[in-house]
Amino acid sequence: MTRRIALLAVTLMMVSLAWAQAPATPPAAAPEAPAAAAPATPPVAITDKDLTSIPTPSADARAKGDPDGSLTGNVSDVVVSDSKKGLTVGDLVNQVGQNRVAINFVWTLVAGFLVMFMQAGFAIVETGLCRAKNANHTMMMNFMVYGVGMLAYWLIGFAIQMGGVGALGTLGSTPVLGGEYAITLFGKTFGLWGQNGLFLMHKGTYDVAVMVMFLFQMVFMDTALTIVTGTVAERWKYLAFMVSSFFMGAVIYPLFANWAWGGGWLANLGANFNLGHGYADFAGSGVVHSVGGVTALAMGMLLGPRLGKYERSGKPNVILGHDIVLVLLGCFILAFGWFGFNPGSTLAASGNGALRIGSVAVDTMLAGMTGSFGAMLYMWMRYGKPDASMSGNGLLAGLVAITAPSGFVNPVGAAIIGLIAGVLVCVSVEFVDRVLRVDDPVGAISVHGANGLWGVISVGLFADGKSNYGGSWNGVAGSVTGLFYGDASQLVAQLIGVATLVGFVFSFALATNWVVDILVGQRVGAKAELEGLDMPEMGALGYPEFELKASAARM
Amino acid sequence: MALAGLIITFLGFVISVASLGMSSSVGGRMVIVLIGLAVSLGGIIGLINPGFQKKAPWRK
Repeated sequence: MTRRIALLAVTLMMVSLAWAQAPATPPAAAPEAPAAAAPATPPVAITDKDLTSIPTPSADARAKGDPDGSLTGNVSDVVVSDSKKGLTVGDLVNQVGQNRVAINFVWTLVAGFLVMFMQAGFAIVETGLCRAKNANHTMMMNFMVYGVGMLAYWLIGFAIQMGGVGALGTLGSTPVLGGEYAITLFGKTFGLWGQNGLFLMHKGTYDVAVMVMFLFQMVFMDTALTIVTGTVAERWKYLAFMVSSFFMGAVIYPLFANWAWGGGWLANLGANFNLGHGYADFAGSGVVHSVGGVTALAMGMLLGPRLGKYERSGKPNVILGHDIVLVLLGCFILAFGWFGFNPGSTLAASGNGALRIGSVAVDTMLAGMTGSFGAMLYMWMRYGKPDASMSGNGLLAGLVAITAPSGFVNPVGAAIIGLIAGVLVCVSVEFVDRVLRVDDPVGAISVHGANGLWGVISVGLFADGKSNYGGSWNGVAGSVTGLFYGDASQLVAQLIGVATLVGFVFSFALATNWVVDILVGQRVGAKAELEGLDMPEMGALGYPEFELKASAARM
Repeated sequence: MALAGLIITFLGFVISVASLGMSSSVGGRMVIVLIGLAVSLGGIIGLINPGFQKKAPWRK
C-alpha cells in the first residue's frame, strides 16, 4: 500500500512538472496598433551649479535624531573630492560607481562567509555517518582541510585558477589578473593556467577586488577538498591526508577551475568552436562537486574498503554511522550555506543581470526539496521505510545538481533536476557499493560525483535562454540555452566538460595520490583501523565518556 | 592492470578533446565526445577498479 501511494506521488509529481515545463501557448497575435508618437523629452543636463541647490536637513532637525530614517543618507553623505568646489557631477557619478561595486563586494563576501560555514555542515555529516571510534579523526580532517587547503590555495592555487582571468567586471575593473598561459591547438587558443597572483602579492594582485575574489573562490575550493575526506574516512592516514589535500588545493582543483572559470579552454569552447556559450557551470556542480567526487572515487579505489565492509564472497555489509541527528543537522547547515554558494556566484547584486539572484536562490531551494523527496520516496518504495540518511543525501544531491544550472534554468526545470538527482543518488550508492565494491561511508561519490556530472549535463538540457548576465556568457553574446530550448551545441560543450572531469581530473588525482601512497602510504594499519583511528592517529578519543561507559558495561 | 586503466582513462579525455578538431558538426562532435567518455569509463570500471580490487582485504 505504501509503495503504491509513493509511486502515485512520484508519478503525479513527474506529470505535473512535465506539464508545467511545456512552453505556454502564445496568445493569438493582436493586430498591431500604430505606435503612438511618444512626446519627445529633451535630455536633462545636470551641472555642478544645480547640485548646490539640493536641500539638506537642517542642523536643528538632525540634532533631534532620526527615528524614521528620513534624514539619514542624503546629499551631505556624498563624498566630495574638493571641499572648495563643493559637490560636483563627477563626485555623484563616482559615488554611484562605488556604490555598485560596494554592493557587489558585500554580497560576494557575505555569500563567501556562508559557504565557509558549510565546512561545519560537512564535518558533522561525515562524522555522524562514521563510527564513534573515528569521530576525532573525521572531525580533524574536516577541520584542518580548511587550513591546509587555504594555505595551498594562497601560495599557488589561486594564481593557477584565476591568474589569467582578466578584469573582474562586477568587482571593479583593474586587470591585474591577466596572465593566462595558453597554447595553440586546432588553430585556437587553449588557456591552460593562470600566472598572476602568487601569495596575493605577485604582479599587482594586492588589490581590493582580488581579495574579495580570493575569499569567495577559496571557500569553494575547500568544499571540493572536504568531499574526499568523507569517502576515505575511517582508514586514511592523517599525514597522507595532509599531503594529498595540499596538492589538491594547490594544483588539481585550480587547474580544472581555471579551464572552467578562469578564462581557460573549456570556458572558450563557445567563442572558439561555436559550442553554445562554452562550458557553463554557474556555481560549480562540475568545478567543485565533480572534482571532489571523482577524486573521491579515485581515492576510494586506491585505498580499498574498510575492514569488515565486504565478505569474502563480495557481499557488502552495512556499517552504520553513529549519529543520525548530526547527519540531518549537517544537511540543514549545508542547505543554508548553499544560499551563498549559488546566488553568490553572480559575484554581484547590482548590475549585469545580477537581480536574478532571487531566481537562483529559489531554484536552489526547489531542487533541494525535490531531491530529498526523490530519495525518500525511492527508498520508501524499494525498502519499505523512508531512510533518514538517504533523505539527507537526496537533499544534498538536489543541491549539488542544481549548482551548475541554477543561474540558467526556470523553477520547473530546477525541480525536475532535483527530483532526478534524488533518485540518482540512491541508484548510484547501490551501484558503487554493490557493483564497483568501492566503500564510501558517506556516499560522497554519488552525492557529489554522480550528481555533479548530472548537474553539468542538465545545463545543456534545461537552460532556458532567459538569463542575461551583462549580455553575454563566456564571451558569447546572448543567454545560455540548452537542448530542450533549441541549442544542442551547448550540450556538447557540457559533455566535453564531463569527459574532462572523468578522463583528466580522475586520472590526475589517481596518479598523484598513487605517488603519495608509494611515498608515505595512504592507509592506516589493520590494528589501528580495528581499534578506531582516534587514539592511533590523533592521540585522543572523540567521546571519552562513551568509552568509560562501554568499559563499565564490559566489566 | 590499474596502470593500463589509467592510460586508457586519460586516452578517453584526449579523444573527447580531439573531437574539436576532428569534426565541425554538432552531431559529429557529440558522438566523438561520447566515445571518449565511454573509453574513460571503461578504463575506470573495467581496468582500474579490478586492478586495485585484486589486493582488497576482503578477497584474502
